[in-house]
Amino acid sequence: MWLRLTLVTLLAAGAVSESVLAQSSAVRGINGSWEAYPLRGEGFGSGVQPKTPVKAPTPVPEPPLKQPYLDEWRSLQARNAELTKKGLPPLSTGMACIPEGMPAMMQATFPMEILETPGQVTIIQEAFTQVRRVHLGAKPVAPEDAEPRFAGHSTGRWDGSTLVVETVGIKESVRFRNTPHSTNMRVTERMRLVNDEILENVVTIVDAEYLTKPWTWTWMYKRWPGYRIEEYVCEDNRYYEDPAQRYQRLKVN
Amino acid sequence: MIYTPPMKILPTLFAIGVLSGGPALAHHSFAPYDSTLQIKMSGVVTGFKWANPHVYIELDAADAKTGEKRHWLVECASTSILNRTGWKFNMLKPGDRITVIVSPLRNGEPAALLKQITLADGRKFSNGAAAGRATIE
Repeated sequence: MWLRLTLVTLLAAGAVSESVLAQSSAVRGINGSWEAYPLRGEGFGSGVQPKTPVKAPTPVPEPPLKQPYLDEWRSLQARNAELTKKGLPPLSTGMACIPEGMPAMMQATFPMEILETPGQVTIIQEAFTQVRRVHLGAKPVAPEDAEPRFAGHSTGRWDGSTLVVETVGIKESVRFRNTPHSTNMRVTERMRLVNDEILENVVTIVDAEYLTKPWTWTWMYKRWPGYRIEEYVCEDNRYYEDPAQRYQRLKVN
Repeated sequence: MIYTPPMKILPTLFAIGVLSGGPALAHHSFAPYDSTLQIKMSGVVTGFKWANPHVYIELDAADAKTGEKRHWLVECASTSILNRTGWKFNMLKPGDRITVIVSPLRNGEPAALLKQITLADGRKFSNGAAAGRATIE
């Protein structure tokens, strides 16, 4: 109630627009800390199963890439698997302490926090202290105006009890599961509470240049009341690129 | 309740990348470590760096094969994974005697991935699910 009163006061003062007020009239109940569901094992989260079991989403499918991108993607995955099997894992952005970016940051590798404030939903992923800001009721950013970013540019609206978020302007170097994309890629997320404890995020990626059809999957998160997101600064990275064989190598001495 | 794979299927899980990482690890693959081999070492802590992306313990311990004293770098998980596994940022200091169960690097260099640590007071801690559990006593 105080939130609405504050907003009405701000509206009267001309500080917020009516559309922002319409999108912010109530906190919709996704505020707080969340962990990936199904639970990921010791150290990743609470280890506490939800009171009501929920069917786990199916794994992220193969990207429906056009040719020749699909063949290139499949051979890269096979090569990476082969190298990893030999103990020579291929280079990755993670090894270099580069944040995951969108949409990978929403797989909730580590717990994440959602903050609902007037006109904005902020999502903080503990790993690499990644932050994205979803501007509610705001005009979508045209891809040509979207400076490439790790988290892109996100706008959102409440469609009933579903938060619909559109994201554009994701850096081409930010490749979820090694999948190439164009500057026109658009990520749509539809987040809704399945019950009080489980938040569902249906992710759909559209990219006419690279994909034959929308690439879609579902991620789920379990509420973790009281969890305080920890600090994660990559200050002591001892991994480097082996100059001869180009794989991830630990600096031992 | 944490899912603990039966020992029999552990090598299979490693082979297909379920426990060894894949896309879900924040920082890097654990593939450089020999996940088929676990060794136990006791020694003296010479360094303990509590930082991300990984916490590291430096340890002087005898080599299991030769008995020769070596200086080991022991890789632990990230600070938040360790906090959630019961560790504390100041629970180790140089001079402490510890016992560790580790998987060493495949290339023979004196570094290893921690599976379990036993402190001088007998308390035992794991290194989180991604690093995998100790399979030896």
